[in-house]
Amino acid sequence: MNSQLHPPKRALRFLQWFCPPALYEGIEGDLLEAFENDAKEVGVKKARQRLTWNVLRFFRPEIILRNRFSIQLFNTIMLGNYFKVAARNIAKRKLYSFINAIGLSIGIAFCVLIYLYIEDERSFDQFHENKDYIYRLNEASYDTWAAQRGENVMRKTAYLPLPLGIAMKDEIPEIKYLTRFNAGGQAIFRYGEKVFTEEIAYVEADFFKMFTFPAIAGSPDQFFKDKHEVVLTPEIVTKYFGKEDPIGKVITLDIQGEKQFTVTGVVEAPPSNSSLEFKILVPLQNRQWYERNLEQWGSYAYPTFIQLHDKATVAQLQQKADTLVQQKMGDRLEEWRKDANIPAEYPVFQLTFTNLSNIHLDTEVSWHRVSDPKYSWILGGIAMLIILIASINYISLALTTSASRKIEVGIRKVVGAHKRQLISQFGLESLVLAFVSLVFGLGLATLFLPAFNEFTGKGISLVNANLFQLIGVTVGLTTIVGLVAGSYPALFLSGFLPATVLKGGFTSKLKAGFTRPLVVFQFFLSASMIICSVIMYRQMEFIATRDLGFDKEQVLVVPTQAGWNEEADKVVEQFRIRAETEPGITHVAGTSSSFNQGWSQYGYKIKDENKAAFVYRVDPAYADLLNLEFVAGRNFDERIASDSTAVVINEALARDMGWENPLEEHLNWREDSVGLGAKVIGILKDYHFLSLERTIEPMFLSMDKKNTGYLTTMLVKLSPGDTPEKLERVKKAWSALFPDKPFDYSFMDQDVANQYQAYTRWMKITALSTGFAIFIACLGLFGLAGINAVNRTKEIGIRKVMGAELTNIFMMLNKQYVWLAIIAFSLAAPVSWYVMTKWLGSFKYAITMSWELFAVSMFAGLILALFTVSYHAIKAALINPAETLKYE
Amino acid sequence: MSKEYLGEFEELVLTMVGILGEEAYGNAIVQEIKDRLGREANLSAVHVTLYRLEDKGHVKSRMGGASNTRGGRRKRIFTITNAGVAMLKAMKEARTDLWKLVPQLKAVSV
Repeated sequence: MNSQLHPPKRALRFLQWFCPPALYEGIEGDLLEAFENDAKEVGVKKARQRLTWNVLRFFRPEIILRNRFSIQLFNTIMLGNYFKVAARNIAKRKLYSFINAIGLSIGIAFCVLIYLYIEDERSFDQFHENKDYIYRLNEASYDTWAAQRGENVMRKTAYLPLPLGIAMKDEIPEIKYLTRFNAGGQAIFRYGEKVFTEEIAYVEADFFKMFTFPAIAGSPDQFFKDKHEVVLTPEIVTKYFGKEDPIGKVITLDIQGEKQFTVTGVVEAPPSNSSLEFKILVPLQNRQWYERNLEQWGSYAYPTFIQLHDKATVAQLQQKADTLVQQKMGDRLEEWRKDANIPAEYPVFQLTFTNLSNIHLDTEVSWHRVSDPKYSWILGGIAMLIILIASINYISLALTTSASRKIEVGIRKVVGAHKRQLISQFGLESLVLAFVSLVFGLGLATLFLPAFNEFTGKGISLVNANLFQLIGVTVGLTTIVGLVAGSYPALFLSGFLPATVLKGGFTSKLKAGFTRPLVVFQFFLSASMIICSVIMYRQMEFIATRDLGFDKEQVLVVPTQAGWNEEADKVVEQFRIRAETEPGITHVAGTSSSFNQGWSQYGYKIKDENKAAFVYRVDPAYADLLNLEFVAGRNFDERIASDSTAVVINEALARDMGWENPLEEHLNWREDSVGLGAKVIGILKDYHFLSLERTIEPMFLSMDKKNTGYLTTMLVKLSPGDTPEKLERVKKAWSALFPDKPFDYSFMDQDVANQYQAYTRWMKITALSTGFAIFIACLGLFGLAGINAVNRTKEIGIRKVMGAELTNIFMMLNKQYVWLAIIAFSLAAPVSWYVMTKWLGSFKYAITMSWELFAVSMFAGLILALFTVSYHAIKAALINPAETLKYE
Repeated sequence: MSKEYLGEFEELVLTMVGILGEEAYGNAIVQEIKDRLGREANLSAVHVTLYRLEDKGHVKSRMGGASNTRGGRRKRIFTITNAGVAMLKAMKEARTDLWKLVPQLKAVSV
């Protein structure tokens, strides 16, 4: 053969893989012969292609399955009998069947829920028809503070200057549509008698052309031609208009002053898997400072979305956008580079684009509802663990109860059953059980779905899910579990020798040594989960009870609803005067933002060094209300005029500045070139104004209205006891003073606790799955212990006859489980230590993992295990030896 | 004849096995169909049909001797069985019987 003439090896290897060996030689020969002929006639290259193509055409069921399923895997005549025997066995051994079925059901239910979770994550924003062409713009810039901390220096945000978007739409032809999307704004909505604070989102006219939020009323092409229009969602329509037709109605929105808006449309509310959330849409022009920001290239406040023309590519866009940025912002950026000392190798400002479909899982850019894909992995892992534990139960129980099937196997073999038939019989039995569990599992999943949604913060409903796919996945999973869990017992059971079992060797002990490692493994999984839950619980408890340095109890947090102006300060003042007549109110104070409701950080340069501090605008009552402790100096005093520009700093700031004697210093945070800056009048002991995920950073309080803002939030401290009634009185006082302002409030301790919502949620999920895992493992252990006791019935009888005490027998039977548990725990401790170190790493203030925690977890686990196995041990020890020995 | 029935392609392949005698294997049949009828048959289709015919008992197969061509692989030679011959005969007769019932087909000219 010509050496050039070699057929494609890969194709032939593929053929060898799928083709039944009996047919292989004949087929390959024919293919090679055809190849040789082709090579002569049409050339080697074409011949090779033809051969590959021909191999692929052999990949068909008639060839692949030949001699596999066509020669019957099991005798169909016996099938009916197998089902009958399986059903009888399940019915006969109710306890074991129950243990197996419940374990598998829970495992399957978990898998279904987690499958739904992952599907939901993947389905985010997939409902938009134009999703392939829609991108969110991001800006990556050099972060000096991150660089100082040694973190990733390029920080990405979705917030861009207002004029950039306008310029892009005008000058880049690839962009078909462009809209800004500013959610999270608040306005007071008034229609007739109804007044409430509502969240509003600002968008532009293109929004309705780009995104698929179908209009229920009105014509989307015409929306937002005028800036005094508003588009609502059905929930808002029902809330304000009831059954009335909202179109054409005039409503009032208070966004920095009352304005009238006409309702021109109703669109469907965004589904739960949408990254864009809104209830009320208002034209962007109404946003505060819109006019002013039109020329502000340095104000990064507008998330921007674009839709490309069908044929345009991101590369084209990128190039044109970069040129545009250079042209419009080049000078400014260079200046910035100099000011901030940005190294030349990093860009000052780099535009990037995230496709709409990827927004949800892009954790680099902070965005509402963005989610870390690692949670999907964690949940998936938990589901797998639980189903693994349940499968182990099935295997060990099937093995250890096999004694009762011995005679059946013997008889079947004597009558002429092949080993293969028996394997398929037992395989079928486990499949039957797995499918019974599937039904229960689906029921459980439906039952738990609302709780699961609450835990994970999702809105999954079975109605929206792709049921066909869901059932496909669960049936597939069940089959795999059934076959995997059933295969080892099937092999084991079918291996009995008929002569041995039928001769009557009933006293022979069942040897199933393989079950022990399985039990250790099961125990190891449960133990790891116990330790993790205990540590998570302790950490959350630590956070909840830690002294934050301020008094957060009995404090109402009330937005002043007056906008960002002098009015806000007056609201606080008026309420304070009124509160003096209310016995239940001890303090009233104002601040620019309360805990967990946002913060502002100012960067400034002192002696050519970049510094930053958190700033809170407060009034003199603030420190008293929160019971803040002064290390030195004094609080603000309204009677001292110079206090209006002075600052009260925290210890961290003093440390940051390296001040020996802070009370003699000035903090020139406004980089005033003439004066010395703000005088420091007091130093506060450090308190946690941010969450415990962060260390206490430099911070100062100020009364400087002009430069640090207005009192947009009022804090009301109530005296202890009878909170509901006092709350009612505060509400009344508010309505009397400000009848046109809604009374929205929250409790400060709850706001603070909400910072850790995500952690609490994950702790709950872990605790719940640990609970289930332990439950399933205990069920399995319970079954095993029972079998162990039965196996040793005779031994126990003889021991009792010889005078053994009940306690001796109890000890004898339980000793091995203690050992198994200890081995499992010593394996679990390092694993969970490693995992928990990672988890605790996200807190700056964390508990230390002491050996006590591990000891407590181990002790708890051991007690639980002993408790589970004791039932059988005691039962076995109590049997009258005469009962067990009389047949021998 | 029994309920057994052959499809058109099955019948064709079976006939070819009969024609080729001792030289009936996959490639030869593909070639024969091409030569005699000018019809392109796919090798995998021919193989599958041969195996199906074998299942039905119309042909039987054995491995032939090795040769230098075909990378030294042996041929799977198919031979028609008595049942196969009977089947072909029955089908032909059935068709002839039917043909006789068609009233004098002629090309009608207008």
